[in-house]
Amino acid sequence: MSDHDDFEPLAAEYALGCLEGDDLREAERMMANNPAFSRAVAAWQTRLTPLTALVPPAPPPDALWDRIAASTAPVPDNVVPLRRVRFWQASTAGALAIAASLAAFMILRPAPRAQIAVLAQMAGGTPIFLATAEPDGRLTIRPNGAIGVPSGRDLELWALAKGDTKPHSLGVLPVAGRQMAAGLAPDTQLLVSLEPLGGSPTGQPTGPVVFGGTLTQVN
Amino acid sequence: MPDPDDTATLLHRCANGDRAAFRALYDRWSARMHGIALRIVRQPSLAADATHDAFVQVWQQAHRFDPERGSAEAFLVSLVRYRALDIVRRTARETPGYEAEEQEDESPDALSIMVATSEGAALQRCLSRLEADRRRLIVMAFVDGLSHGELAEKLLIPLGTVKSWIRRSLLSLRECLAS
Repeated sequence: MSDHDDFEPLAAEYALGCLEGDDLREAERMMANNPAFSRAVAAWQTRLTPLTALVPPAPPPDALWDRIAASTAPVPDNVVPLRRVRFWQASTAGALAIAASLAAFMILRPAPRAQIAVLAQMAGGTPIFLATAEPDGRLTIRPNGAIGVPSGRDLELWALAKGDTKPHSLGVLPVAGRQMAAGLAPDTQLLVSLEPLGGSPTGQPTGPVVFGGTLTQVN
Repeated sequence: MPDPDDTATLLHRCANGDRAAFRALYDRWSARMHGIALRIVRQPSLAADATHDAFVQVWQQAHRFDPERGSAEAFLVSLVRYRALDIVRRTARETPGYEAEEQEDESPDALSIMVATSEGAALQRCLSRLEADRRRLIVMAFVDGLSHGELAEKLLIPLGTVKSWIRRSLLSLRECLAS
């Protein structure tokens, strides 16, 4: 049996949307890592899409366009209005699902590829930060809700490259998020620590790491 | 000459930062995409979240859309479906404020609404060759976003049977569509 025949049923079921649990996670992993699999899923999605004709259209709420327009407006450096930041309500598993669903129709290039990371709270729970690293080196960090920081403290963002033992600072991270230039390698960990106002005085984290996640390529 | 307002062209214009094209795409697709989300998540505010998130991704990822891999329609539909599925797989399905029609009509006649396009006509023809109970599984999985386990529970069919019926039905659909 060829590889193609091996994964074809899983690709079809992922496109149909009936997977759950371990099977779903396996399909999402393959979407991220196996271009032939994601291509098979795209073909299945195209085959099955006519079924959506069975669903009656439902106009979205009138205010939705304004929300979308705000979420897609250009982000000025360092200023992200809080209204805009309610982004993917993503858990770490959710981020994989997002990356997986995007993979089906994406142009395949050896490089460059965008990377995303969910910076989950180390203590669990929400809100979280979502990081997107574009191939051109732009890094955007946005929270998905209102993030609280004790008065007199700042959050500071750190990058820890794979294999490194010491993170390097990417600067203070406003609770509303930030966009910056930072060419980061795949699998770099992004960490957010709680620091004195203005950031760590030592060049290394001095307070607890409160958010963290690892950049993963969107295939 | 391609229609400057067709979906693939609008996506291409979005990839070049054309806000008017993004708005045109929204005007053309938002009701269909929101309808798809609403059917799956069954809760208006969660459906609005799914539709919002899907359009944000449309804008941000339009430049990565590869028409060689599938249709623009399938790209848009899959963005909102996976977002909606992700929401229902992670939050228990609730039904306040909106009750989906419980009884799906997946008879060959009801499916004839799909024949407006040639792809839809082919799929309708191939679905109509499946036995009724297997066709129901495929339609409910895709349209309502029900998982293997939810289908088994709802239709009172053993989980193993649901899985094998779906698997075999999808493979015979593929053969039929290729012929």
